[in-house]
Amino acid sequence: MGHRDIPVLRTRRLELRGPQAEDYPNFKATFTSYRARFMGGPLNDYESWMLYAAEIGHWEIRGFGMWMIHDRETDHTLGMAGGWQPAKWPQAELAWMIWPQVAGKGYALEATHAARDYFYRQAGWENAVSYLDPKNLDSIRLAERLGACRDRDAQSVDGNDVVYRHPSRAELDNTRLAHGIEMEIEHYADPTFKPKGFALD
Amino acid sequence: MIAPTLTTDRLTLRALGPQDAEAFAAFYADDRSSFVGGPMNAEQSWRTLAGEIGHWTLNGFGRWAVTETGSDTCIGCVGLWAPLGWPEPEIGWDLFEGATGKGYATEAAEAARSYAYETLGWDTAISLVAIGNDASARVATRLGCTPEGTFTHARLGTLTIYRHPKVGG
Repeated sequence: MGHRDIPVLRTRRLELRGPQAEDYPNFKATFTSYRARFMGGPLNDYESWMLYAAEIGHWEIRGFGMWMIHDRETDHTLGMAGGWQPAKWPQAELAWMIWPQVAGKGYALEATHAARDYFYRQAGWENAVSYLDPKNLDSIRLAERLGACRDRDAQSVDGNDVVYRHPSRAELDNTRLAHGIEMEIEHYADPTFKPKGFALD
Repeated sequence: MIAPTLTTDRLTLRALGPQDAEAFAAFYADDRSSFVGGPMNAEQSWRTLAGEIGHWTLNGFGRWAVTETGSDTCIGCVGLWAPLGWPEPEIGWDLFEGATGKGYATEAAEAARSYAYETLGWDTAISLVAIGNDASARVATRLGCTPEGTFTHARLGTLTIYRHPKVGG
């Protein structure tokens, strides 16, 4: 599968689609800013555009890649999430980034949960990791909310990142962990939602 | 968008793909690539290859893998190039080790230029050549280009702008 046929994923609030030219301005705004300090940035204008082109080419080379996250109501872009495995990556990574002005609304959780589900159920992934900067506490917290755990034995990209290993497909198949993630997403989508009993342990 | 395949007397220009990662890594590891943004390591050249492919989606045109017809080995990367911030769309050519000196750059660039003029409807084109890249400047001259000033790029330094002859010119 190449970027000719990037699948579209829909969640309660979001639609994930392949990156397009018209989506570039928000990508650039994020990658040329301090927000990108844990993602290899900030980049200059040329580097930012070339990285965006590479995000698209990644789909063609690997058959998977990063989706652009759209708000289903407004169609505005909110960030990107999906799979990422450029040269030198020990294995396929689940990655996410949210534009700074829309952070804190659970979009990364909702999008990455959907992307992970797609890779497990449709693309045959057996497992997944995320390579995180140890200073990027927001992303580490998100990895933990997704059920991922620090894997000290896994090979990192370059020794400056920490590896979080995601729960396997079986560990997310109708389990309490999966229900908990879905409840958290539900709470973001509908803040008046009151779950009828969280797990107590 | 995926690159259409073009053919010339000796060459086939096809879409770049994962099979070209090694050829890119070898080219960009060599000092010969210093005129076009190199040298760079295999991780960076992989991203460059991915960016070449994504350029087609973002702009509707881009560069091709150049192969000798009958072989699928990528011996160069030639085509149409206009990342954001470029002065105007250009025709670019990078020939890899062992593929130079045969007129391949000229032959492939002519095919790319014909595609730009006839299929895309461009009415002009430039090529940017780094100062000191004499082999590339000779290709521009063979293609009928004339120098017209310079463009300074944050990453690539000062480049001579060569103007291609207009359609039919």
